[in-house]
Amino acid sequence: MKKPRLLLVDDEIPFTTNLLKLLSRRGYDVSAVYDGDSALRIVQEHEFDVVILDQNMPGKDGITVLRELKKKRPHLEVVILTGYGSIDSALDGFELGAYDYTTKPIQLGDLEAKIRQAFQRKMLRE
Amino acid sequence: MLQQTDTAKETHSRGPDLHTRSYPKLLRRFVLGAVICSVLPLLLVGWISYLYYSQFSMSRMAAYFQRTVEYNRKIVESFFEERTSDIKLVAYTHSLDFLKDTSNLSQIFHMLNRGGSFFTDLGVIGKDGKHMAYIGPYDLMDKDYSQTFWFKEVMAKGVYVSDVFWGYRKEPHFIIAVLCVKDDTTWILRATIYQEFLSSLVETTGLGKTGEVFLVNREGVYQTSPRFKGAILDRAPFPVESFTGESGIIGTDPITDFGSFDRDRSVFSTDFIKYDLALSHPKEIVAYSWLKHPQWLLVVKQDFSEVFGDINHVNTIILILLHSSVVAILVVSVFATGYMVKAIKKRDRQAEGLNRQLMQASKLASIGELAAGVAHEINNPLAVILTENQVIRDLTDQEQGLSSEFKEELVRSLSQVDSQVERCSHITQNLLRFSRRMALPSRFVDLNVAVKDVVGLLEKRASSRGVQISVDFQEGLPRICGYPFELEQVFLNLISNAVDAHDGKSYGAIRISTRFDGADNRLMVTVADTGSGIADGDLERVFDPFFTTKPVGQGTGLGLSISYSIIRQMGGHISVRSELGQGTEFTLVFPCPATGQHDASAEARKEGPDEKAPPAPRR
Repeated sequence: MKKPRLLLVDDEIPFTTNLLKLLSRRGYDVSAVYDGDSALRIVQEHEFDVVILDQNMPGKDGITVLRELKKKRPHLEVVILTGYGSIDSALDGFELGAYDYTTKPIQLGDLEAKIRQAFQRKMLRE
Repeated sequence: MLQQTDTAKETHSRGPDLHTRSYPKLLRRFVLGAVICSVLPLLLVGWISYLYYSQFSMSRMAAYFQRTVEYNRKIVESFFEERTSDIKLVAYTHSLDFLKDTSNLSQIFHMLNRGGSFFTDLGVIGKDGKHMAYIGPYDLMDKDYSQTFWFKEVMAKGVYVSDVFWGYRKEPHFIIAVLCVKDDTTWILRATIYQEFLSSLVETTGLGKTGEVFLVNREGVYQTSPRFKGAILDRAPFPVESFTGESGIIGTDPITDFGSFDRDRSVFSTDFIKYDLALSHPKEIVAYSWLKHPQWLLVVKQDFSEVFGDINHVNTIILILLHSSVVAILVVSVFATGYMVKAIKKRDRQAEGLNRQLMQASKLASIGELAAGVAHEINNPLAVILTENQVIRDLTDQEQGLSSEFKEELVRSLSQVDSQVERCSHITQNLLRFSRRMALPSRFVDLNVAVKDVVGLLEKRASSRGVQISVDFQEGLPRICGYPFELEQVFLNLISNAVDAHDGKSYGAIRISTRFDGADNRLMVTVADTGSGIADGDLERVFDPFFTTKPVGQGTGLGLSISYSIIRQMGGHISVRSELGQGTEFTLVFPCPATGQHDASAEARKEGPDEKAPPAPRR
C-alpha cells in the first residue's frame, strides 16, 4: 500500500524533528516546516496527502493555516495535533474541514493510526 | 455529630466571630440611642409638664382656697357691720322713754329679728350699769353691769362689739353695745348676738370631710367651736400674734406646729403656696383672715390631701401614664432593636456567605487559569519526551551490538518513561477539565439515571472491598440542565472516594439518595459513607485543587475540585459533613429549570435521553 506523503507543521522543533525521523523510518514521505507561512508555501510547490498541523504557532495559528490550506488544497486531509486542546478550537477545526483533532502527548502508534485513516479517506474521496 | 463545610459553612466558622462580638454592642448602642432620643426627652418633658402643672394647679387651688376665706370674712364682717348698724339705728332714732317701754322694746326686738334670728336679747342699760328695760329669755333685770369690761369699753368708746364671754347667763355669748347721750341723759342699748347663728354663718365655707372653720380672738380663744378639737372659749393650741389686718395661707404640719403662724409666715401668700406646697406637701392647709371689727381671726383649715386630692389624683395618673409610656418605649425599643439586629446579623451572614462563595469561586478561577496554562505548556514537552522515547526505542532496535540484558533494561526504562508521560498527560487533562475553559453543551439530565450508571460501574469494585452501595431514589424527579458526562464524572469521583474511604475497614456502606425539594425547586443528591471520615483541618480544604489525603501517586487532588467546578458551572452547590472515624456525607444541590422548562423537559423525556437543554448557568 502506498505510504502517504506527510507534512508536519509545528513550531516545537525537537518534537517536529523527532516525529520526522520516526515517521520517515516507518516509510512515510515526510516534510516538516515550523510555521504557517512556510506550510502554505510548501503545499503550493509539493503534493501532500496528510498534514499534521499544530494549533498554536508564531505568526499564523493553526486554525488560520487550516482555513487557507483548505482553500488551496480542498482534498488535503489535516490532523490537528495540539498541546492547547479545547472543545471550541476542536469545533472550529472540524467546521473548517479538519479530519481529526487530537492533543499532545500522543503515542506514535496512535498518531500513525490517525494518519492512515486520514489517508484512506483522502484516497476514497479522490 | 457530623461536621459540615462548604462556602456557607466557612462563613460561620471564620468570618462571623467579629460580627458576633459586635452585635451585643450594636444592640446596646441602638437601645441607648432609643433611650436618649425618645425616653429621656419624654421623661424630661413629662416631668417638667408635671411639675408646672402641679405648681399651677396647686397655686390655683390655694388661691381659690384663700378667696373662699376672704369671701367668708367679708360675710362675717358684713354681718357684724349690719348688726352694729341695726343697734346704732335703734339707739340713735329712739328716745330713752320710748325704749324703756317694754312693749316698744319688744316690738323693736322682733323687728330686728325679722330678717333672721340674729339677736338673743335686747336691753336698755342706764349709766349706773343696771337694766332699764330688757327683752330676752334670761332673768337679767337686776344685774349690775357697771363693773363689767364691756360696760367700761362702751362707755369709753361709744360702740363696742365684745369677744365671746360667759357673763351672768353662764353661756358663751357676745354683745353689741351702743352708748347714747341725749339731753343730759346717758344710756346704753345692748344686744346679744345669737351664737349659733354666728357659727352657722362662719361655717358656710365648704368643709369637706377634714375641713373646719372657726374664729379666734387676739388672745387665741375660740370664738366659735371648732369642728374637731376644742370648744368655744377654749384656748386654741397655737398662739396668735397681735392683730395685723392681713390675710394669708400657709401649709403646716399638725396643728400644734401652727405656732409658727406669725406675722412673718402669714405674708407668704401665693408665692409660698406655689413653691412650698407643690414640693413639701404639708399635712394641712390653713387659710386665715383678720376681721377688723371685732378683731378676730377667721381660720379655715383642711387636710392637704383633701384640698389637693383631685389634683394629686390627676398627677398620679399623669406620672403612671408617663412612666408606663417610658417602660413601653423601652420594651418596644429592646424588642424592635433585637429584631433589627437579628435581621442585620442574618444579612451579614448571607453577605459573608456570598462573599466567601465569591472568593472561593475567584480562587478556583485563578487556579483554573493557572492550571490550564500549566497543562498546555506541559503537553508540548511531554510530546517531545514521547517522541524522544520512541527515537531511542528505534535506535535500540537497530543497534545489533547491544546485549539482550541491556536491551531489556532499556526497554523497561523506556516503558516506564511512557507510563509516566501517560500519567502526566492524565494530570494535564484533569487540569484542563478543572479549568472548564471549554463551553460544554448542556442537556437535560435525569439524576437517578446518572447515579445509577455510575453505581453500576463501581459496584463490583466496591463489593470486592466489602463495601455495600445502596440507593434511595425518589421517583419522578424533574430533570436538570447539565452536562451528563461531566456529571457522571462527579458521581464517579464522589463514589470512588467513598469506596477509598473504607481503606483499612473490612466492610462498610455507601448510601446514595436523591430528593426533590419542591419548596425551593431544587434537587438534592446525598452520597454518604461509613468510611474513615475527614479530619477537622482538612474539611475546609477538600475542594481545593491538589489537596488530597491519599498516598502519593494514588490521587491527584483534583477530583473534588473538578466536581466542585462542574457543579458550580451547572448553578449548583456542593457541601460536605464529616466526622472522623464515622463517615462523610456529600450533599449536592441542583437548581431545577423554570416551570416552562420543566414542561419542555417532561415532553422531551418522551422523545429520548439526548435532547438538548438550554445552556446551564456558568459560574
